Amino acid sequence: MFLLPKGNPLFENLAATKLKLPEVMTKLSTAGFTGYASFVFQTATAILVFESGQLVCALLEDRNGVRQTGLAAMSDLCQLMQTSGSGILNVYKLSKDLAICIHALLEGEIRYKAQELKLIDIKTLLEKIKSDQMNGCLRIYTDDRSAMIFYKEGNPLGFFHDGSHDIETSSSESQKIASLPDAKIDLFSTQSAEVLMGINLLEVVNVQNLWDSALALQQSQAGKVDREREERDKKDIGIKLATLEEDIKNIVIEYVGKVGRGIVDKEIAGLGGNTCLADSTKTSSLLAAIERSAKLLISTTKIKLMQEKLLSLIAAAVLEDL
Amino acid sequence: MDQFLTFFGQLQTFDIIQVIFWGLAGAVSFHFSIGNARVWTSIAIGFFLIFLSQAYTINPWLHYYKLSAYHSIIGTVAIMMITHGFLEYYVFCRTFEISGNKLTVYLTVLVILACSGGFLLINPTPSPNTLRNIKMVENAIWVFLSVMNLELVRKIYLAIKDSTISKGFIAFGIVFFCILLWKGSELYLQIYQWDRDWQDIIAMMTEESSDIGQYPLRVELSQTVSRYAGLLSGFSVGGTFIYIYRLLK
Repeated sequence: MFLLPKGNPLFENLAATKLKLPEVMTKLSTAGFTGYASFVFQTATAILVFESGQLVCALLEDRNGVRQTGLAAMSDLCQLMQTSGSGILNVYKLSKDLAICIHALLEGEIRYKAQELKLIDIKTLLEKIKSDQMNGCLRIYTDDRSAMIFYKEGNPLGFFHDGSHDIETSSSESQKIASLPDAKIDLFSTQSAEVLMGINLLEVVNVQNLWDSALALQQSQAGKVDREREERDKKDIGIKLATLEEDIKNIVIEYVGKVGRGIVDKEIAGLGGNTCLADSTKTSSLLAAIERSAKLLISTTKIKLMQEKLLSLIAAAVLEDL
Repeated sequence: MDQFLTFFGQLQTFDIIQVIFWGLAGAVSFHFSIGNARVWTSIAIGFFLIFLSQAYTINPWLHYYKLSAYHSIIGTVAIMMITHGFLEYYVFCRTFEISGNKLTVYLTVLVILACSGGFLLINPTPSPNTLRNIKMVENAIWVFLSVMNLELVRKIYLAIKDSTISKGFIAFGIVFFCILLWKGSELYLQIYQWDRDWQDIIAMMTEESSDIGQYPLRVELSQTVSRYAGLLSGFSVGGTFIYIYRLLK
């Protein structure tokens, strides 16, 4: 997923699922924050770019590379914060210029994505950037490190790597990452800073509403899940009760004969169906009723043996939580 | 005292054996009714009442006609109780419903017997002819209900034939077959006026005659069947209850 160099850390590794997005937005906005906040979840990453407390860009990319921006990104972020089991928030301070570059990058177009550096003729690529007078960014990265080179009209503008606060002139970090065996590159074309829209998303998007809607949706889904689980549990219990009822009938038939089925059917129906088997008082009544009928058909010794067998069957079923 | 000694001296050994058998059967069935399920109470009490109805043979006050009639009424109540019991058992086999309690059965029987006694007390003393009519009605009821009980027993057996007690109902079938022969042969004699009571009556009524002399074989056969089937009935009832008691123990 999309990984930016870390910048100057303000907060790192905050538990994103315990935070409320409206409160985070208010805090960063009122502090006049410039930089970016990245939310990293197992399924997606979101980057929010701030310039002087204004939320100028919101991007959310899932693990398949599908991107959402603006309102959709904010909405999905709200849902992720409420539904994900884990996630972290990192906030990095940047200079205003670097923030504008990041903003431009996030709104730019992907030209090449995840190309293995060792398979690319980097020299030819750089020459093409220069000859095309391209505005853009070359991102060099591995799984855990990242560096960027910004270009303006084909000329390198500067570098951005972990720990940078501003656009730097040193290329050493970029070269280090480029020399790693699993290094890859992305090439983005960007629009110039003059063309970028400077809309404050916090004025356009009601984050509190998005948060509340996501919360309501999450609660409704949780309720649905609870209901489904409840129905499934009920169904499971129903199956277990039916099995227990059949086992009871088989034992009674074994001792009393085939009329035993009718006796159990009648007594269970009289106690309100096989749910009575989950109630200890009703189960005792059932056993007493079966005994009363069995007295007309079999010997006391057999009744005793049958009752013992029935009791142990029911006790075992209760132990298994029915 | 001399009267009693004379009375017992006149009793036939066969009658005494028959009453003893019914006494044993009555004791066994009454004991059975105490220790078992409610449905058995009617059946067991009914069989116990047969003993009371048969005890007329050894009743020294039998010359009181009202008492004699009372024996017949007890006999009728007996077969009705037995039938009621088997009917309840059959209903249980089909619906698995058990209702009522033993005390109600005991009290109901007592009330019926008391009312019957009251009925005899408030009415004139029955003549020998009336007494014979009462006995004939008793026998007719016995025959009809014995056939019905044979059918009930068959149906009960089919419903519970894989239960422990099912063989007990085969024994009851034998009991009712013996009773049918016993009471049927008596009724046959009464209907054709070949019974002893009728012979005693016509002995005092000179204008009546009897054709008993023309059918000695039939009369003899019926009397023999009645005697031995009665004996076997008492024996089979006692045996059946002992057998069922062992099955249910």
